[in-house]
Amino acid sequence: MSSDAHHADPAVGRDMIDFAADFMPALQAAKAKVAQGGTLQGKRVGVALTLEPKTACLVEAIASLGAEVAVLGSSNSTKPAVANALADSGVKVFAEAGSTPERSAELRELFIDHKPELLIDDGAFNVRRIHTGRRDALESLDGVAEETTSGVRPLRNMAAAGQLEVPCVAVNDARTKLMFDNVYGTGQSVVMAILDSTNLQMQGKSVVVVGYGKVGRGIAAAARGLGARVTVTEIDPVEALAAHHDGLNVATIIEAVTSADFVITASGIGHSLIADHVAAMPDGAIVAVGGAGPPEFDPSMGVSLVWGDTVRDHIRELKTPDGKTVFVLSNGYCANTSAGEGNPIEIMDLSLALQLRAIDYLASNNLPAGVHLLPREIDDEVAASQLAAAGLKIDTPTEAQVNAAEQW
Amino acid sequence: MSETVASRSRIKDPSQAPSGHQAIEWARRNSPVLDGFVRKKVNDGSLRGKRVAVVVHLEAKTAFLATVLADAGAHVVAAGSNPWSTRDNVAAALVERGIEVHSTRGSTNEMWEADLSRVGDTSPDYVIDDGGELTIRMARDKPKLYAQLKGVSEETTTGVVRLRELERLGRLPMPVVAANDAALKHMFDNRFGTGQSTVQAVLALTNLRMAGKRFVVVGYGWVGRGIAAYAHALGARVTAVEVDPIRALEAHSDGHEVADMTTALSTADIAITATGGIRAITSRHFDALKPHVVLANAGHHDHEVDVPALIGQADSVDEVRPGVTRYRLGSKPVYVLSEGALVNIAGGLGHPVEIMDLSFSVQALGCHYLASNDLSPGIHQFPLELDKAIATAKLASRGITLDHLDEDQTDTLSEILDADTYQSWGNE
Repeated sequence: MSSDAHHADPAVGRDMIDFAADFMPALQAAKAKVAQGGTLQGKRVGVALTLEPKTACLVEAIASLGAEVAVLGSSNSTKPAVANALADSGVKVFAEAGSTPERSAELRELFIDHKPELLIDDGAFNVRRIHTGRRDALESLDGVAEETTSGVRPLRNMAAAGQLEVPCVAVNDARTKLMFDNVYGTGQSVVMAILDSTNLQMQGKSVVVVGYGKVGRGIAAAARGLGARVTVTEIDPVEALAAHHDGLNVATIIEAVTSADFVITASGIGHSLIADHVAAMPDGAIVAVGGAGPPEFDPSMGVSLVWGDTVRDHIRELKTPDGKTVFVLSNGYCANTSAGEGNPIEIMDLSLALQLRAIDYLASNNLPAGVHLLPREIDDEVAASQLAAAGLKIDTPTEAQVNAAEQW
Repeated sequence: MSETVASRSRIKDPSQAPSGHQAIEWARRNSPVLDGFVRKKVNDGSLRGKRVAVVVHLEAKTAFLATVLADAGAHVVAAGSNPWSTRDNVAAALVERGIEVHSTRGSTNEMWEADLSRVGDTSPDYVIDDGGELTIRMARDKPKLYAQLKGVSEETTTGVVRLRELERLGRLPMPVVAANDAALKHMFDNRFGTGQSTVQAVLALTNLRMAGKRFVVVGYGWVGRGIAAYAHALGARVTAVEVDPIRALEAHSDGHEVADMTTALSTADIAITATGGIRAITSRHFDALKPHVVLANAGHHDHEVDVPALIGQADSVDEVRPGVTRYRLGSKPVYVLSEGALVNIAGGLGHPVEIMDLSFSVQALGCHYLASNDLSPGIHQFPLELDKAIATAKLASRGITLDHLDEDQTDTLSEILDADTYQSWGNE
């Protein structure tokens, strides 16, 4: 929504950060909790998340706990006004909106030069880079907190191969993350990003959701709630059966896309939607990515497609060999962060509170190398803090209930 | 011709035309009814040489309507129905296509009034109006030109109410088609269009989450129903506030909570006005508001959220995000979106293209109906057969087929369906 004049103004960024902070009670509670232990005092912390107001709130919380913070933002999702506001408050910012791939790679190296002791990573890009080309930064790295499904997967693969040399907390797998960020957050924000960039209606649309994990469920629910007919494509029979029970159509991807108005990927796996699928879509279909960035949507795989004009902000033509035009959102990057402001503030309140608690957990425990879950108590405390802020109370189990649950 | 049009027009910047053309092309691409069935129908010569004033929110969809009328031979003059909804690039593209435009985004109220006056001075034969804004001004300020108007097609609930009032006062000397009352307009535009785009704009402006919100909708007409449905679909708990017992009962039956204003607002995280009236949320409600509540308006007037009263009582007023103004009432921050203007238009892209395809098909056919029939002065229903023809064309564009009645399946059912249609759709 920001106009060009506001685009890079740090004062605008500051206001947006402060607005977000008012809707982040769980992060405030997490900050108060971590402050008690003082574990982040003097630590070098690296934060590689979508650089926008909510992330800025986390960064400022970490800085206020005595850490020296560096931030890495991507070329397609960095909000310049926010980056500038953070830089003004003394944070090391490595983010340039619209930077070339070469410059983006350079920024990553500069970020790693910060030699973070604690790293909050998104997609495991930095931890993988540190394990391969930047082993000079490995020794000082005490632990990593990973944000997403598509980042936890390679970490587990590395661990299984005996290649993961640091403790990593799979923040993504915490219930307060997975059940909220992935479902409600991505569901709302991906669907809204599509509607905001196209100015089209959802009512009566034929929507294909590729993948029925947490993200796919959220997207399907939001699209259906707004009046779409949803078809799910899956490779997992259990998830497909769940979609069937949720009242959605289930079909193979090549069959489903032939009548699609919107095709939204939510698989988190590379090459899930490829050029051959695009060629099977009707003229005018719109492709958006809700899972991970490239190559989840891989227009180079299969028949040969040709990119055309950018016809609206965030919308680009992709031409099929038989003369059809399909429209792609944000060049196949995540629609919600590229064509929108990412997940809603209150959702990121939960995810980022967990991130803060995760680096505190890493700093206060000497965990072995490998992938670790965030302890249940931390998960519960973060959820409880947002319930408390909403003025909602829950029950505690009675003795009889506890006993009943323990019987066999 | 084009140079004269350019010199007569008042727009921001002709060089913005290329992106305006792209936006209009996107609208065309997603307007199969207007670009097909309607284009063919209005192209029968009845609009040739007629002066048509289009005074509707001046963005890509409206611009496409203007081009369809111009392609049918009409001399179209366009202005915005609200100074905050005009897209300057679209205005520039229209002028390049030979259509006279008087509008710039964010112009002062005086400038906007002057723009409408200039459009009135072109002595239109027909007006496609929104909120009755041009018609009412011509009745007041240009009695001679007003008397020469051959017909008006009116877009909104509010406008139809205003024009009915003019009729009651004996000051409606021309036929008016209540385009708003067409089923294809208010059932779709007001409910689905405003519903989706309002929820969209609130979320885009604030970056807040809908799931778990306590959401108040003030007014449960077509607009309120749509907003409530989509807020609920995205996980909000909705409370409706009504003054009409039947609508209140409908909201209750739809599964929403129903409460009086003070009770409802005391729970609200987000409150949207959709009454079509003025001062729906005003001074006497401010005490009930929770800290950090978000207020926005989806009704026609910019005065449903009483912003002047907020300014009067606030200790500070700051724009904290683009389109989000914070009023501090003592220590309590209250946020208002788009300064209380229609949030889906002022703070978003307006209605979805496909919705406006239907609404503007009604408007174009309404104008054509006026031009090709000798109607008596007064307010006329939009003919049901045209409503049905638009729906049929839309369904056909989606490849959807209908069933039909055989003769042995009761010969009165289709009449009952039509009667139902008028009773349930026509009385809004």
